[in-house]
Amino acid sequence: MDLSLLFAQALSGLSRGMMLFLIASGLSLIFGVMNILNFAHATLWLVGAYACYTLWFLMQEHGFAVWVAIPLAALGVALVGWVIEVMLIRRVYARELPEQLLLTYALVLILGDLIKITWGVEDKLIARPAALAEPVFIAGVPIDSYFVFVIAVGFAVYFALWWFLNKTRYGHIVRAAVFSREMVSALGIPIPVIYTGVFVMGIFIAGLAGAIQGPVGSVTLGMDMAVVIQAFCVVIIGGFGSLPGTLVSSIIVGEVYAFAILFWPDGALALIFILTAIVLIVRPWGLFGTPMRA
Amino acid sequence: MSAKKLAWAGAVFAALLAMPLVLGEFWVLVLTEILILGLFAVSFNMIFGYMGQLSFGHAAFYGVGAYTTGLMMVKAGVPLGLCLPASMIMAGLVALVLGYFCIRLTGIYFAILTMAFGQLIFYIIFQWYGFTGGDNGLQGIRPPALLDGPWSYYYFTLLVVTAGVIVMWIISESPFGYTMRAIRDNPQRTRFVGVNTKKYMLINFVVAAMFAGLAGGLWGPFNRSLAPDLCNWHQSGVPVFMTIIGGPTGFLGPLIGSVIYTFLMAFVTGFTEYWPLTIGIVITLVVLFLPGGVWGLVERYGAALPAREGPPPEGEGGAS
Amino acid sequence: MKTKSLLCIAAALAVALLLVPVTAQQSRAAEPYNLGVALAITGTGALYCKDGVDAIKLAVDEINAKGGFLGKHPIKLFIRDTHTKPDAAVRATRDLITRDKVRTVLGTYSSATAVAIKPVCQEYKVLHIPAISNSEGITLTNFSPYTYQVVPNSYMQAKAVVLGVAALAKKKGWKKFVTIASDYEWGRSTQQNTVALLKQQAPEIKLVKEFWPPLGETQFTSYITAIMAQKPDFVIGSIASKDNVAWMKQAKAYGFFKKVPYPGSLISVIELILQAKTLDRGLVGLCRAPFFAHLDIPMMANFVTAFKKKYNRYPSDWAVMEYDAVYVLKQGIEKAKSIDTEKVKAALKGATVATTRGQLYFRKIDNQLSCSSYLGVVADDPKYPFPIYHDVVEVKGPDSWRPEKEIIAARAAEKKK
Repeated sequence: MDLSLLFAQALSGLSRGMMLFLIASGLSLIFGVMNILNFAHATLWLVGAYACYTLWFLMQEHGFAVWVAIPLAALGVALVGWVIEVMLIRRVYARELPEQLLLTYALVLILGDLIKITWGVEDKLIARPAALAEPVFIAGVPIDSYFVFVIAVGFAVYFALWWFLNKTRYGHIVRAAVFSREMVSALGIPIPVIYTGVFVMGIFIAGLAGAIQGPVGSVTLGMDMAVVIQAFCVVIIGGFGSLPGTLVSSIIVGEVYAFAILFWPDGALALIFILTAIVLIVRPWGLFGTPMRA
Repeated sequence: MSAKKLAWAGAVFAALLAMPLVLGEFWVLVLTEILILGLFAVSFNMIFGYMGQLSFGHAAFYGVGAYTTGLMMVKAGVPLGLCLPASMIMAGLVALVLGYFCIRLTGIYFAILTMAFGQLIFYIIFQWYGFTGGDNGLQGIRPPALLDGPWSYYYFTLLVVTAGVIVMWIISESPFGYTMRAIRDNPQRTRFVGVNTKKYMLINFVVAAMFAGLAGGLWGPFNRSLAPDLCNWHQSGVPVFMTIIGGPTGFLGPLIGSVIYTFLMAFVTGFTEYWPLTIGIVITLVVLFLPGGVWGLVERYGAALPAREGPPPEGEGGAS
Repeated sequence: MKTKSLLCIAAALAVALLLVPVTAQQSRAAEPYNLGVALAITGTGALYCKDGVDAIKLAVDEINAKGGFLGKHPIKLFIRDTHTKPDAAVRATRDLITRDKVRTVLGTYSSATAVAIKPVCQEYKVLHIPAISNSEGITLTNFSPYTYQVVPNSYMQAKAVVLGVAALAKKKGWKKFVTIASDYEWGRSTQQNTVALLKQQAPEIKLVKEFWPPLGETQFTSYITAIMAQKPDFVIGSIASKDNVAWMKQAKAYGFFKKVPYPGSLISVIELILQAKTLDRGLVGLCRAPFFAHLDIPMMANFVTAFKKKYNRYPSDWAVMEYDAVYVLKQGIEKAKSIDTEKVKAALKGATVATTRGQLYFRKIDNQLSCSSYLGVVADDPKYPFPIYHDVVEVKGPDSWRPEKEIIAARAAEKKK
């Protein structure tokens, strides 16, 4: 097998990984700061995809439709996230882990049916923007140009988050809250406001990821179910709350999957779970996490 | 066991004996489902309520039990009476291997590792076409002629489930059961007293899995066929739902949860397709306004009722 | 005591809840014909099933307008969601039978759910017409005399593809191929049949590699590059529904279809409609019941007109077949002169029925309808706002179904196990 083919596989793995990163980064952020594992994350991601469809549908005569629909959809989902935080999540901060988990699980079921009521059961198709319809060639290897866009957005989100967490005052506060809620609140900074902000930000990224997913295939009910477990795996492998960890593990998972398809197609998904189990057993806090939270 | 508790248990059992006599076939099928899922939920609560850990992969053991019975009956024609113990043993063996790793973790990590292992078992059953039939499932599982009818299979299920529940009750009231509560409430102190907590937790994990396996074994002949969906993470959510609705602090809480959950499902799916929405709202309401579930409510209003089981389990994954 | 009275009330409520539906059922008259539908309203199959449900409703309305079956048994429709999951399908089916007292169950979408509900229908002596799912396992082994199949099964479809592909391969000198099939019952059985039949038909063509994306895969990029890495002469795909949409869309964006011929994969009418703008013209596709192939038959022409009038769209394969299922049942009842299930079952055995796809008959050994498979080249047509098949090759049922000898052998082997 020659090198260019391996390179093509690596590129497709990278695009898969970046798609996962977009979903998992918000999940990881929310868990890292708020200690809440959000089962409904992928369902909100799906809301993003549907919202993108509707917005695109309204503007489809125009060439810019998708480009406008994606950010608007993300903002819309962020708004939904804000409502959910204020109405539900806020009430269970002080509760036990199982109750928090269950509440977000219940959200998966509720949102799933609300999506069905709102958008119906038909699959929704979003036409690709003309600029991204043809493959591009990198070193003679073809890659779907839309995924070049996905990879670019993935890195952009990574750097934006990194900049926010490391270079801004709010970012410092959020990072401090990861380590000690008591300390932050002793400094007179209201923890609930931080939590709301972080939750909405995480959900915004999920909505963005969903909107970007929209034009990839068709948007359908139940898509979230396949994705949510993989996103959990990514977050576990990378380490809860670690941004670089999530990036690296997304890429690892994407590449493992891509190359498993090449060499052991039957076991591609199983490999991801085995990898996750090994990380949990050997290093429960993940590759880049800190053990103090375990 | 006090006389009062005995009287209550007797009354419930008598009601379960009598109910099918007045019910139509559909509701007898529903009752059977309640019993099987109830056993599954009670076994789950051995880990959740008595060990304080949330297992999100308990369906894996249910599935292993179901497939053990199903495969033995379909491929080898082994009688059901032998299949059920085999299901328990198989589920126990799998739990012994997986539990060895799981009990080293707590809180969220325990939940996710059990989920990852559960998905792994799911994929093995899903992919192993030659043996399990893959997602095509396993068909042609019929109970022996004597039990081959909704009513007779119901009474058989009632017998097996009652026996299973009694054994689990005895375990929970034994010194072993109280050690588990101690480990749940304060693992460190229990360790200092000289208890090998890891060993106890592993035994508890295996026992819980065995009864999940028993419940799974009952499911195949009831449902006539098996599918790998039986052990994926959605199914693992079912006992969690039941336990939270019914209340994890009472031994019978999960059974109450099974009654409510299964009846509600049979009732709601009769006129609407929006079952997920319904159960989602129910769960949300229970979590927000009825912590401790139905059993918690009963406890709060009826001091005369049996068994206060101590505080709800502590989550240990939090930094708070 | 407060608690006790509370508990008493709760118990009384529970009992009341139990009894109400029971008594309600008993007072129901026996006159209407209760028809059950177990289809995937949600889950992977929702795309196909919506069309199916709409067609069933249309057929029922038409028949009820004339007084129902035999002119005196109005049809009452009960629709349940199988969630595309076998267990939920079994529950839905039992529910339909024991609570709603249906006499026939139409459905289901996925083959795994079809084989799961088949024994349940048999046990309760209820007719079962799976009009979307087509795994051969439904009729091949564990045979149920209550199940009548009106879809060309996976063997027949595979055979049709093989006949087409073998002819193409000879012409173009193709030597090696890969397969990509969704990892579930239908994908597996279709792929296996295709590979086995192609080996018989053209032993010189070699299978290089098999790919099995999981059901519900949204991103096929890694499969696309991996297939291109194999440099096959052609690719055979067995991917259905929304997965198929995602796969075709992404493969196209890789320029895949320009490099690798992709003959004979399932492109049903619904895909033609949904991907009207993006589908590559010139692809050789396979479908199960395209309405445009039979517009010369009055029943089909009328159906298309009525469907279009009611729903303002064209019917897909899935609509055509569910519509046929209702009318097959109607003819069975007319032949039996009774709605008694045993008599209808006996009347349908080996019966010739009028369908939108012409006069067809049920083969006695497996109750498989002698329906055709259709291959054609995707091309635009001025009459429709979407591309249709041109140069349609209709492979007749009796030319493509599995020989009876093999069925007997398969069932004997099953008994031995």
